[in-house]
Amino acid sequence: MTKFIRILKSGFSNFVRNGWLSVASITIMVLTLITMSMFLVVNVVLNTGIKSIQDKIDISVYFNDDAKQGDIIALQEDLADLEEVKTIKFVSKDEALKRYEEQNKDNPKLLESLKDTENPLPPSLEIKVYDPSKLDVLTPIFDNEKYKLIIHKVSYKENKTIIDKLFQATQFTKQVGVIATLAFTVTALVIIFNTVKMAIFTRKEEIDIMKLVGATPSFIKGPFLIEGAIYGVISTLISIMIIGTILYFLAPTLVHYFGGVGDDLSGFIRSNIVWLVFAQLFVGIFIGTVSSWLAVRKYVKIS
Amino acid sequence: MIYFDHVTKIYEQNEGEKIEALNDVTLHIKPKEFVIIVGHSGAGKSTLIKTINREIKPDSGDVYVGGINYKDLKKRDIPYLRRKIGVVFQDYKLLPKKTVFENVSYALEVSGIKAKDIKERVPKILELVGLSKKSNSKPKELSGGERQRAAIARALVHQPRILIADEPTGNLDPKNAWGIIEILLKINQLGTTVLMTTHNQEIVNKLKKRVIVMKKGKISRDQEMGRYEE
Ligand SMILES: Nc1ncnc2c1ncn2[C@@H]1O[C@H](COP(=O)(O)OP(=O)(O)OP(=O)(O)O)[C@@H](O)[C@H]1O
Ligand SMILES: [Mg+2]
Repeated sequence: MTKFIRILKSGFSNFVRNGWLSVASITIMVLTLITMSMFLVVNVVLNTGIKSIQDKIDISVYFNDDAKQGDIIALQEDLADLEEVKTIKFVSKDEALKRYEEQNKDNPKLLESLKDTENPLPPSLEIKVYDPSKLDVLTPIFDNEKYKLIIHKVSYKENKTIIDKLFQATQFTKQVGVIATLAFTVTALVIIFNTVKMAIFTRKEEIDIMKLVGATPSFIKGPFLIEGAIYGVISTLISIMIIGTILYFLAPTLVHYFGGVGDDLSGFIRSNIVWLVFAQLFVGIFIGTVSSWLAVRKYVKIS
Repeated sequence: MIYFDHVTKIYEQNEGEKIEALNDVTLHIKPKEFVIIVGHSGAGKSTLIKTINREIKPDSGDVYVGGINYKDLKKRDIPYLRRKIGVVFQDYKLLPKKTVFENVSYALEVSGIKAKDIKERVPKILELVGLSKKSNSKPKELSGGERQRAAIARALVHQPRILIADEPTGNLDPKNAWGIIEILLKINQLGTTVLMTTHNQEIVNKLKKRVIVMKKGKISRDQEMGRYEE
């Protein structure tokens, strides 16, 4: 215990004595952590975005007015047999009208004009699927000769393109995120390696004397590893403060522009902040200790 | 206590020229002995000493200290070995940024001694070498003799069975030199084996202790109650 505290203390003084090299190490480490976290967060935002659109998606099949009830039920059953299909809901002419009236209740003139004519709205089936990327499996059914005659229109194409684009965006950010984080990690490793190397060189005399008065290798090497770990801890603190500040100012804007997504984001941050801090802490300490360990292994010769 | 069995150490100089710093040295030092090693500059005195605390490894021959053959010594045992042998280095090797007290306590810290025990032991040892008043001075604020005392204090703080002092009287005026010798004699009387090197003929001749003369890496003379003449 006494020994551990001494190693800890000595690690701290290493850190202080390194001056601007410590600052460089921390800067690059903070950049690494922020990059990593930002991509994690953006990834979550895109995923929730996709989810919320997926939930909203309805494939609506509109029927001709003369479509027979039996044919519609037959189609409904065919669709229900597909495992991709989540729910199917029949919307009758009357129900469609009711909805339309509800949606336009602020527009009495429009409603007035409807009263005079016969219900112009077609009956329809509203279909939800589990995975919108697999909407294509439904197409052959709609193209079936049996149903072609009764189907007036199938609407789903626009939604599908949006989702495809979002998918691509997620894929892209994932790749960019991984590459950027890796690049920063390697840079951080190199810079901290060199910082610790400098620390070892400037303290060569001290290290030699430590050896000669009977210090064990762990007592000599420990402080440098602690120094590396300290870079990780301090960088995490700074990075969390920066990310916190950015989100504090950004969250209202996000909520404003993206509605649900913004809510999800700040909710995500709030419910995952602990996890995010620990992930950063882990990565930070890992990078710090690994690079100092490499430097120590190379430059502290124990004999 | 210390036994050298045909020990040879060869250094390679820059131009591939080889120097036998120790050339087939055989020597035996018994517990509680006081031994003086003399010889010209470059005779191999420091090399002999560095072999004892395992700062250097001989090229051939066996070194035994306290019954242990250094060939059987594992790397991880070396720190523990060094804590049992007090060494006063020719160039002191004090840490310039630490005070006398810190320099001495440092040797205890590295071996995991409790802070409370350190606070007790260090003042006692500084008292012994007569450096209590300079406890808070940095090495550069000390005279040569005081630095030497600080180095001795650090070497003794582990209460080693063997104390090795490389030129402990070098560059010191006679009064200071004798002060240092008196400390070494006192330590020796308390039961520690003492091994010192020196160039100082007067001290050697007055001490009337065992004298080993080295010449070009070889032991040229080994005499009880020895004298040293050019
Ligand atoms: N690290 C080294 N590399 C190469 N040669 C060395 C090294 N250390 C010592 N030598 C050589 O070995 C020989 C013995 O050196 P050593 O330091 O043992 O002499 P010494 O008797 O202690 O001399 P002094 O009285 O000046 O301290 C010298 O010729 C020296 O140049
Ligand atoms: Mg010497």
